[in-house]
Amino acid sequence: MTGTAPAWAVGVCAGVHAAGSRDVVYVPDNPLSHVLRVFEHQFRDVRLLLATREEEAFGIAAGLYLGGRRPTVMLQSSGIGNSLNALTSLLIPYQIPALMVVSMRGDSGEWNAAQVPMGRAVRGIFDAIGVPHATVVSADAAAETVRLAGNTAFGTRTLGACLLPRGLTLKVP
Amino acid sequence: MTRIEATRIIVDLAGDAPIVASLGHPAYDLFAAGDRPQNLYTWGSMGLASSVGLGLALARPDVRVFVLDGDGSLLMNLGSLATIGLLQPRNLVVVVMDNEEYATTGGQPTPTAHGADLDAAARAMGIAATATVRSDDELRSAGALSRVGPLFIVAKVKESAPTAKPPLDCVFIKQRFMSALGNPESSVTGAAL
Repeated sequence: MTGTAPAWAVGVCAGVHAAGSRDVVYVPDNPLSHVLRVFEHQFRDVRLLLATREEEAFGIAAGLYLGGRRPTVMLQSSGIGNSLNALTSLLIPYQIPALMVVSMRGDSGEWNAAQVPMGRAVRGIFDAIGVPHATVVSADAAAETVRLAGNTAFGTRTLGACLLPRGLTLKVP
Repeated sequence: MTRIEATRIIVDLAGDAPIVASLGHPAYDLFAAGDRPQNLYTWGSMGLASSVGLGLALARPDVRVFVLDGDGSLLMNLGSLATIGLLQPRNLVVVVMDNEEYATTGGQPTPTAHGADLDAAARAMGIAATATVRSDDELRSAGALSRVGPLFIVAKVKESAPTAKPPLDCVFIKQRFMSALGNPESSVTGAAL
């Protein structure tokens, strides 16, 4: 299993783990399936929690934080649209932090026009609501990008988003 | 049974346990029934009270977690029942104050006024211990139901006009809540170098 895991996915998991997060609430996505598999096989102390919708995932993450945990939410960029009320009326005003791992749709490499508008808008939306975001530019940079975003989020009680471009996640290992 | 009467019973049943309240009248009544640091008043995020309670219950299996939801609110996030049914946190108690209307916004009827059955929905999603109650005694009995998983109670309540408003400072609410639970934010407590 380990041999087939793409390096970027291993890096993402290592970064989440290094940021002290042991709870990952997620809505599935194709590239993120690699990350889930790495968590399952190489980071067994990380609890994976399936949510039915991204907004719900952020609600669960908020509860985890209130109970003393450092939550991560993994979702596809299209799910940001489903998340906005949770972000803007719960996590941001209460200063409840969460590390976000966002698998990009609608950027370079996209084939589905329905995924493009939100994919193009997602950074602008993050800027508009004050969510810091970083892009994972390479497999080598994944662990450190995610770790730093997490440390900043949990240290300063903000959200911290790490975007995974399709150019990264679609590469065959 | 009015909503404030039902809320007083839940506060009594909860003892020192945390209560997460949905925005609007459930939160207002929780404050009026008994303000305490273990109350998490939400001011937005309609629909997410049960999700917040679920996350808290998972983070703190040593603590019994109560959720005060509304029928209109829960209908915004019915998927939460599926997730609670999937994870089966035995320390989670979700109480829906079902007044069959969007009382906070002027009393528009919700689907529960026309037969939508949240108790049946919870059971269909794998929550075995459920009850629909209409009186003080029934609510107290339901709170004591023995079970191995989560508890889901639909309290059919009459609307009662709120008489007080909880603190508005979201960060204060959070910090007070986390400190009362014994996991204060380090930004509040300071830390050794």
